[in-house]
Amino acid sequence: MLAFDSAPPPPTTELSINKPSRGHESYIALVWRRLRRSWTGMAGLVLVVLLIVMAIFADFFAPMDPKATDVGFAPPQMISFHDKDGGFVFQPRVYALSDSEELDPVTFQPIVGVDYDNPRLLGFFVKGAEYRLFGLIPANRHFFGSTDGQPVHFLGTDKFGRDVLSRAIIGSRISLTIALTVVFIVTIIGTTVGMVSGYFGGTFDIWLQRFVELVLAFPQLPLYLALTSLIPVTAPTNVFLAFVIAVMSALGWAQMSREVRGKTLALARIDYVRAAMAVGATDMRIIMQHIFPNVMSHVIVAVTLAIPSVVLLESFLGFLGFAVKPPLISWGLMLQDTATYSVIGSYPWILSPVGFVLVTVFAFNALGDGLRDAVDPY
Amino acid sequence: MALALVNSFAPPVRHDHDGRSDTPIIDARNVAVNFKVEDGMVEAVKDVSFQLYRGETIAIVGESGSGKSVTARTVMGLLSKRAVVSEASTVAYDGSNILKFSERARRKLRGDRISMIFQEPMSSLNPIYTIGSQIVEAIRVHRRISKRDAQKRALELLEHVQIPDPAARLMQYPHQLSGGQRQRVMIAMALANDPDVLIADEPTTALDVTVQAQILNLIRNLQKELGMAVILITHDLTVVRQFSDYVYVMQLGEVREHNTTEALFANPQDAYTKHLLASEPRGQANPLPEGSDVILDAKGVRVSFMMRHGTFLKPAMRELVAVDSLDLTLRRHETLGLVGESGSGKTTFGQAILRLNTPESGEIHFDHQPIHGLSRAEMRPLRARMQVVFQDPFSSLNPRMTIGQIIEEGLVVNRLGATKAERQDRVREALIAAGMPGNILSRFPHEFSGGQRQRIAIARAIALEPEFILLDEPTSALDLSVQAQIIELLRKLQDERGLSYLFISHDLKVVRALCHRVIVMQHGKIVEEGPVNEVLSHPKTAYTERLVKAAFEVA
Repeated sequence: MLAFDSAPPPPTTELSINKPSRGHESYIALVWRRLRRSWTGMAGLVLVVLLIVMAIFADFFAPMDPKATDVGFAPPQMISFHDKDGGFVFQPRVYALSDSEELDPVTFQPIVGVDYDNPRLLGFFVKGAEYRLFGLIPANRHFFGSTDGQPVHFLGTDKFGRDVLSRAIIGSRISLTIALTVVFIVTIIGTTVGMVSGYFGGTFDIWLQRFVELVLAFPQLPLYLALTSLIPVTAPTNVFLAFVIAVMSALGWAQMSREVRGKTLALARIDYVRAAMAVGATDMRIIMQHIFPNVMSHVIVAVTLAIPSVVLLESFLGFLGFAVKPPLISWGLMLQDTATYSVIGSYPWILSPVGFVLVTVFAFNALGDGLRDAVDPY
Repeated sequence: MALALVNSFAPPVRHDHDGRSDTPIIDARNVAVNFKVEDGMVEAVKDVSFQLYRGETIAIVGESGSGKSVTARTVMGLLSKRAVVSEASTVAYDGSNILKFSERARRKLRGDRISMIFQEPMSSLNPIYTIGSQIVEAIRVHRRISKRDAQKRALELLEHVQIPDPAARLMQYPHQLSGGQRQRVMIAMALANDPDVLIADEPTTALDVTVQAQILNLIRNLQKELGMAVILITHDLTVVRQFSDYVYVMQLGEVREHNTTEALFANPQDAYTKHLLASEPRGQANPLPEGSDVILDAKGVRVSFMMRHGTFLKPAMRELVAVDSLDLTLRRHETLGLVGESGSGKTTFGQAILRLNTPESGEIHFDHQPIHGLSRAEMRPLRARMQVVFQDPFSSLNPRMTIGQIIEEGLVVNRLGATKAERQDRVREALIAAGMPGNILSRFPHEFSGGQRQRIAIARAIALEPEFILLDEPTSALDLSVQAQIIELLRKLQDERGLSYLFISHDLKVVRALCHRVIVMQHGKIVEEGPVNEVLSHPKTAYTERLVKAAFEVA
């Protein structure tokens, strides 16, 4: 039997629930919409994505093998669109420097000049040095470089004649890995300690916070130096790297836990937490369901702002020679070469990793600032 | 277009215009203010006209979002940068349109000829300067007089606003004064230059009811003495009735109706005005069924907090007794009012009875079962039977959870409902019982208004099918008309489900409409107790009498 009577009208209430066109948006959608309004935030986001892509496919983006040596302290080579007669050509090229046969009449040194006879033609997706993509897949394509595999140095070479640009691109891998890993560990420890301390309060909180203060009060630099010199010089590089990460995390979580605790203190006394207690929710449930989602927005912002500080710390410690040791490559380690004044004066291009650090710091800071305004849309 | 929309009860000119020979000191015509928002504009005030004559008080009354404060701020020139005042708007002060004045000229007017006092006296005074220096500054901004003369004037002003011991107050800081005294200081500053117009924006909303009467009387007396004109902005109809000569009723940025106070209250014309006047809490609780059982029995409940004072080397603890050995009995189906001013300990008492805080001593029996001394884990099985609704519906719902999750939480933690579907059905049922549609489970709290949120909070409480609900000022954050709906809902739920309420409030009007018995608290002690009609009509103590007077007469 089929019933043909129409469905009863939906029950009406005395209240009209006005549905604004976009009142019903998920949290992510709201944050995204607000982040898009901030152009610095979006610029930061784009740069962060580019940096991460660059770090993942570093071997592909690096035009050269970072360990291959050439002439030491060679200056950056300019991309040229002219042939040796000065006429315009479509294919970009670089002209390497080479010793000419003539000698300087005063110093009797060979005169170094641009070698216009052997242009090194440039192209995208060229074959070059062999590498293993993700450490597994053998490949030899590079994003750009010379078409015939000859060395080109857009940012010059360092004292051993290694390509600075390639090393900086590959170095982003270690630098970003350190930063992201440290911040990941710091966030987990800091958020947990902060939420627990702030939620339970009382004597427990007081003693935990004294411990946090102890960690914060440590003179960090001597500690880093002491701890990193504990490892034997002969230790394998990955052990060394793990140790650096462990030390940075051990000293970094305290600040994060302070911020989360402050936020939790305020949340733990808010009415919806009391309401959850009144329905009989356990502490664990209250922390996970009520406190955690509400401190999450602050944590995300804190994370994006913590990453650049770790990048800076790494470059600083690397400069002092305490973070990453060769044969690993990181920005900090590359900057170690700039320690002497005469080197910077004569070969300023070896400072170019500073540019990478600057861009990274700016990108994460800009993203963090954009997120700060976007994460609390209600 | 605009002409077609003109409300016949709210013409641009006052109804008593013809009987007057003088010109208004402020004549606002066609004031429209828009706010730039994320995408487009929000019309906060649309085409509002009003007149204010010398020496009288007009009231602008309306619920939140009606645009009454924006209208006042337009007159003051204190709108935010995002506000756009339409070209057609005029606000004539003494005949000249001040909206066309330069910022410099307006600044000269502001605080000199036109002054304003705000709702929150706590944040209107700068905490790092003394009262004296702030009043002196207010004087010397507009007048070239010596500091000594300004100080003399400041003292005079404080005497004027009847602050006890004015000379000593000059040297004090804002935190050393009570809320009422701070508001008096604000008034003194507003009066510093003998203004022609005083705008009082909800001047007593943040104050206790008994202080409210004092402040309003002070404003009235000063007005008579100094011949000022006063614009009183409020949501409180009792205040309007008592203190204003002429009333403008605003809703959603428009004037719905205006008239002399007497005429408006005697004979409201517009539908909204009628609705607003009818929203005053009325009616009373249905009589208790015969011989209903005691559900909650508390004896000698005492809650105190230890306050540290003294120095580091000589630490000393002082005990602050919030609830001092109080008794309370509540029967099934009964609503017991707990009344008092802020700081009287009524919320602490209520939460102690629900064991949301830990009383230091005393016995509490819930359904003849002792619950004093139980730990949080031991209390858990009882939680479903006793629930709570908080004052502020904006902080009592977790913004990151959907309505469904919020209401379902109690069912989940108490293992009620076998399946998700069954729980969702119960959630829907609770929402419908609380007067909300059942199809909002996946929406977030921020999509709802204050009144709707309070209904959701009530739904959360009744979803567990409790026997007793603690209502902690559930209506005081709400607009008048919404308040009436919530009272109606609470009464209905009580009848249908046989609930017992402990109703905490400072508003005796609501208490009269909802409660069977009432307990009056002051400084953590019970000062009076009895059936609601008896206590309200024949208060035995002076304190209760003051509360009653403040609530029903404001005089």
